Amino acid sequence: MPHSRINNDLLRPLFQTSWRFYLLVGIFGSIVLAALIAWLSQAYFGFGVTGIAWPIYWGFYVTNFVFWIGISHAGTLISAILRLVDAGWRRPVTRCAEVITVFALMIGALFPIIHLGRPWLAFWLFPYPSERLIWPNFRSPLVWDFFAINTYLTGSVLFLVLPMIPDFAVVRDKATGLRKKIYGILALGWRGTPKQWHRLESAMSIMAVAIVPVAVSVHTIVSFDFSMAPVPMWQTTIFGPYFVAGAIFSGIAGLLIAMALLRRFLHLQEYLLPIHFQNLGKLLLVMALLWGYFVFNERLVTYYGNEPSEMAVFWRTQRESFAPLYWTMIIGNFVLPVVLMGIKYFRTITGCVIASIGVIVGMWLERFLIIVPSLGHKYLPYSFGTYRPQPVEIIIAIATFAAMTLLYVLFAKFVPIISIWELKTGPSERTGLPHHLGHVGPVVTDRPRP
Amino acid sequence: MKAIYGLYGDGMSAQQAVNRLRAAGVADREIVVMSSQPMEDYEFGHMDSRTRIWWIACLGGLIGMATALGLAWLTEVSWPINVGGLPTFAWWPNLIIIFELTMLGAILATVVTLAVTAGLGRGSSFYDPAVSDGKILVGVANPPEASVHELESALAAIHGAQIKMI
Amino acid sequence: MPKWGMAADLDKCTGCGACVTACHAENNISTVGADQAARGRAKHWIRVERYWEGEFPDVRLKFRPVMCQHCDNAPCEPVCPTYASHHTDDGLNAQVYNRCIGTRYCANACPYNVRFFDFFNPSWEKPLHLQLNPDVSLREVGVMEKCTFCVQRIKATTIAAKAEGRELKDGEVNTACAQACPARALVFGDLDDPESEVSRLSRSSRGSKLLEDVGTKPKVTYLSRGN
Repeated sequence: MPHSRINNDLLRPLFQTSWRFYLLVGIFGSIVLAALIAWLSQAYFGFGVTGIAWPIYWGFYVTNFVFWIGISHAGTLISAILRLVDAGWRRPVTRCAEVITVFALMIGALFPIIHLGRPWLAFWLFPYPSERLIWPNFRSPLVWDFFAINTYLTGSVLFLVLPMIPDFAVVRDKATGLRKKIYGILALGWRGTPKQWHRLESAMSIMAVAIVPVAVSVHTIVSFDFSMAPVPMWQTTIFGPYFVAGAIFSGIAGLLIAMALLRRFLHLQEYLLPIHFQNLGKLLLVMALLWGYFVFNERLVTYYGNEPSEMAVFWRTQRESFAPLYWTMIIGNFVLPVVLMGIKYFRTITGCVIASIGVIVGMWLERFLIIVPSLGHKYLPYSFGTYRPQPVEIIIAIATFAAMTLLYVLFAKFVPIISIWELKTGPSERTGLPHHLGHVGPVVTDRPRP
Repeated sequence: MKAIYGLYGDGMSAQQAVNRLRAAGVADREIVVMSSQPMEDYEFGHMDSRTRIWWIACLGGLIGMATALGLAWLTEVSWPINVGGLPTFAWWPNLIIIFELTMLGAILATVVTLAVTAGLGRGSSFYDPAVSDGKILVGVANPPEASVHELESALAAIHGAQIKMI
Repeated sequence: MPKWGMAADLDKCTGCGACVTACHAENNISTVGADQAARGRAKHWIRVERYWEGEFPDVRLKFRPVMCQHCDNAPCEPVCPTYASHHTDDGLNAQVYNRCIGTRYCANACPYNVRFFDFFNPSWEKPLHLQLNPDVSLREVGVMEKCTFCVQRIKATTIAAKAEGRELKDGEVNTACAQACPARALVFGDLDDPESEVSRLSRSSRGSKLLEDVGTKPKVTYLSRGN
């Protein structure tokens, strides 16, 4: 595929806007606005407008927090890990994935502020020499959250933005007027000399190596928000790996849905090929099996231990009041992906999307089922309780999905959603040749004498 | 003259152009090559590739580690507060902060080094938008008046070259 | 340095609830109204748990007053990001309202569920606002609160004793709940003083700790013949 064709296809969303774009922005923007108003009403009228009550002090907000931080692991897996193992098929997919990471992180990172009783004091988590002569408690998992999420967010934003620079240069070259000026500034004077390319690729390699342990640590630390408390079925050492696996799992599902939508609405059928969906579908299958393994581990060990307070929570999810949600989770997270992704006939783009939607629902329910049943049934029977989410929490939960879609739509409007230079560099899945050579004969890599 | 350069359609022609420029007596650091993707398969794609960025990233990591250690130790020891019977400076929980700031230091050091060494944000000497369409630019910036003709013939010798002077 | 603790004699407790009322009065705890209480928003720093034992007609009632156990290995303390929940030198689990940003992690970590969140700004219908205790701060919406072993009384008595240049005597400091209990089921004092009544009771063979196996090292001893 010649350069000009790639440029045109991938830059079209930037230069052409249809009424559908404005409609999408309008709809999702309104939902996000509604959520903002809901949260402001919570800050104004008092936290009591939520469904939180003694003894269940964490509900939808923390569920959303863990869920969205989990989704953010999509980009790390695709961009960083696949880059490190040099999997060529990742090239059209990296930016889609990294965008999910950055926006999911931003959304997730809002929740520690949304769920605070006094959110105007959230800045106390930042270590600064205050006049109160006190620093944050570095031994607290919530402070670890603060450091981990900020490090991951910084790393992910940079990991996303650095490879955008050469693409901004392409847009700068193709655009006119004000657009040319803005993208000219964003391109930071990129010219494409071997020195610049080499520095960029080195920096990306370092970032890839650095971001993987950070991603693992982030969701492990989020799991520490639970495992550091002596609550039945929370204080278990399996939470660290369990949460990381669940995060990557939900991330891949989110990525599959995003890719399917982009392929359809931005006409990227020649770039996001069925092979990409099949490969990611296989990864989804692996993660589903891994998730099932962790759940089996957690539940078998609890069952064998037969400790009364733990077993009470165990049966609560499996047989009693939370059973419908629990079994929906099992179907969405395990049965559906294993069947649809395991059988080659079903591993189509549609199959991938259906399995992914099941996983998204299942993973959200999993976070909810970790938090609420345990908190409602700790040790002393007198203090058992139930949780009923209120409109504020429901609107904000729905709005997170709207916000993600809105941010994604806006991003795809201003930045090429497939990394143009990375696509051109790698081999085409169809021809096996570097993209820029297209169908012109075999590759000649004549290494001249130095 | 600001620059003289040729636009080539593929890597091999560009490599030949670079070789001819070298034969014409141009030093490697005077030769300007621009492409829309990294040309790792060709020798000219490896010009100027020595970099210390990995060492700087490690250094950044060490600085991050020192910062975290200092922050945790100094603040916890200066204002000792008993929480749950944990020691004033407990290694296990503090390792997390230390790890995060180490990685942050490495990441920031990498990005700053990239920005500085790749000359990002600095005004460029010259550029041709044809590069975005897949052309590879090989040329010389600010060539001395006397050698312009020689450079022009060196660049034009390759089949399919588009020579420009600005 | 004293180590404050408590003993609760379940064989004496009649479940009258005077301790709850006294605690509300002493510590400026607002009531939240029937609606909010039904939703679980009540803030009873000390609560009386009622358990039924046996089958009809051999039914027995057991009452257990539960307040903050001021655990020496408190799970609520390390998890607070702003050090709002920390351990003092005299063994109290202190809740510093000014530092609290309301993450509610401490409440989740507490196995006894004795931590309460202010869901709304407190309000007292006139003339009840005249009854407020000036020694205790009012908590605004968004902070956690819990039993403090009446730290304002501890501090006031300690300062008075220091001013007079003498040590504290056993029984001189009393929490509101212990003072109000008509059956004298609640006893408060210094566990480090081997002669104090609370020390003696904590060594009783009828004594046990609540949820001892969770490992929190609580400082309230419950005395019951059924042990």
